[in-house]
Amino acid sequence: MSYVQVVNIDKSFQGRQVLKGIELEIEKGEFVTLLGPSGCGKTTLLRIVAGLERGDGGKVIVNGREIIEGQNKKEQNIGMVFQSYALFPNMTAFENIAFGLKIKKIPTQDIRKQVEEIMDILSISGKENNYPHQMSGGQQQRVALARALVVKPDLLLLDEPLSAVDAKVRESARILIRDVQKKMGITTIFVTHDQLEALVMSDRIVVINAGEVMQYGTPEEIYRRPANKFVAQFIGTYNFLPSSLVGIGDKETEICIRPEHILLVSKDQFPQIGNAEGIKLYGTLENFYILGNTARAEVLVQGRTIIVDHLNRFEGPKFALKEEVGLLIDKKVCTILGR
Amino acid sequence: MKRGIISKIVLGLIFAYLFFPIVATLLFSVATRWSTTILPEGYTLSYYKLLFSSPEFGHALLRTINVSFATVILSILIIIPSMYLAIVYYPRLEKLFEILSILPFAMPGVILAIGLIQMYSRGPLQITNTPWILIGSYFVLILPFMYQATKNSFRTINVKALTEAAMMLGCGKLETFIKIIFPNVLRGVISAALISVSVLFGEFVLANLLVGDNYETIQIYLYKMQKVDGHLANALVASYFMVILLMSLILIWLAFRRETEVRGQKTEAR
Repeated sequence: MSYVQVVNIDKSFQGRQVLKGIELEIEKGEFVTLLGPSGCGKTTLLRIVAGLERGDGGKVIVNGREIIEGQNKKEQNIGMVFQSYALFPNMTAFENIAFGLKIKKIPTQDIRKQVEEIMDILSISGKENNYPHQMSGGQQQRVALARALVVKPDLLLLDEPLSAVDAKVRESARILIRDVQKKMGITTIFVTHDQLEALVMSDRIVVINAGEVMQYGTPEEIYRRPANKFVAQFIGTYNFLPSSLVGIGDKETEICIRPEHILLVSKDQFPQIGNAEGIKLYGTLENFYILGNTARAEVLVQGRTIIVDHLNRFEGPKFALKEEVGLLIDKKVCTILGR
Repeated sequence: MKRGIISKIVLGLIFAYLFFPIVATLLFSVATRWSTTILPEGYTLSYYKLLFSSPEFGHALLRTINVSFATVILSILIIIPSMYLAIVYYPRLEKLFEILSILPFAMPGVILAIGLIQMYSRGPLQITNTPWILIGSYFVLILPFMYQATKNSFRTINVKALTEAAMMLGCGKLETFIKIIFPNVLRGVISAALISVSVLFGEFVLANLLVGDNYETIQIYLYKMQKVDGHLANALVASYFMVILLMSLILIWLAFRRETEVRGQKTEAR
């Protein structure tokens, strides 16, 4: 039996169904991300798992214990970090972190030891006597994380905790959260709408759309083998091409190919490279721009724009706009999506 | 430059308009004779001595303090938890609160008093001429002040998220209110309480009509004194003006402190 079980959860708000028969199983120590566009129901699902909201049907079991809304959460032992952090403004960082331990009636000297330990892990030592408003967003976020972690929860819930900090802090926070989670072995559910965050941090990702699970798999699976068109469109970039253009699959299917799997070559070189397995297409270069470490070309093939990405190397191939170019696609990288 | 002078003159005039009566009151309370001269002919503290040595004054002041503080404490105990419950669990009730808090303004004191006398001068709850009816009607009277001041305090914190955060850490509902929510709205509650006490100190209509001589408050005592001796009445007004002034200063200080703190928070967040 899985450590966390979400069984057939339904939820409606004022007649609008936001969750439809959600089923999830999470193993002990796993980091699972609920990923989806805003309004897809991911936060509602998290709140139901937390016992802050009641599902219309179904149940949630964490470590063999059913989660019931409205019950005192002392027994429940679930830690949560809120989007707004919800630090207690009248308490210092130390008091905030110690709060859960005090509720558990842990002896004072043990509280001090445990709080100092977690503050050290999250590198916020020295901020003990600061009030929330005296700390930066990144520090507040770590205090909120420390407050949830210090009680050694069975399950840690993170509700978009990275959305309120700036890009640089976010990048380091991703790694920090991931490292601490692995080190402490705490089963974690993370909610985000940021696919990069999900791919970087998760053991498994649950892609949710309109209250339904679209796909549940490792970042690798989600990225390489999207189960349906929604996932394919939502995660990363895909070229969606009719089967007739690439000459595989039957007429009804759509072929999707990642831009980085297509090779852009000059027209003169084209006949000599590739093998029988390769698909060769001719087109004209419509647009070319740099994204950073990658560069992107837009090639018009039979009236369709195909996006091609490649590493932005110093001595990369240079093509003029409107020049005729060749595209080389390996058949192995073509994903066939059913209608 | 010119505009500066004009605004200073206008401000000066307003200031004078507001302060002359107070200064005159103070002067009259320490004057021996003041009829045909610009300033009093002589000064004395004898009226204050008389006032403070009169047991009636002490009793009246104590009654006013009793009834004001009892009302304010009752109001805090009832209104603050109700507002908290409304915000977290029954958001729809907030509108009702809003309407309720405006209602007392729509009722002139005399009408309120007549209605209350009609209702409570016979059974089953015969409480006219007792301080209880004052506490009850004062509760209604200060509702707008209590509500507005604390509402602003509730707005500065994310009540729902704080409650949920505390609950997730195993904190019970009552404990959450006492340990997390109340300390964070305390300043608003204090200013609400001070405004309310000031209002109740100056309340005459309801006190006079509902209890009158049976529970002589400071305002009723003042009303009587005016007929007896103008100097004494002025000494009384000056004394309780000082009390109100002191409370107002505390209030302004509290409000100012809160404002600088909130501003500090915002700049920190950036």
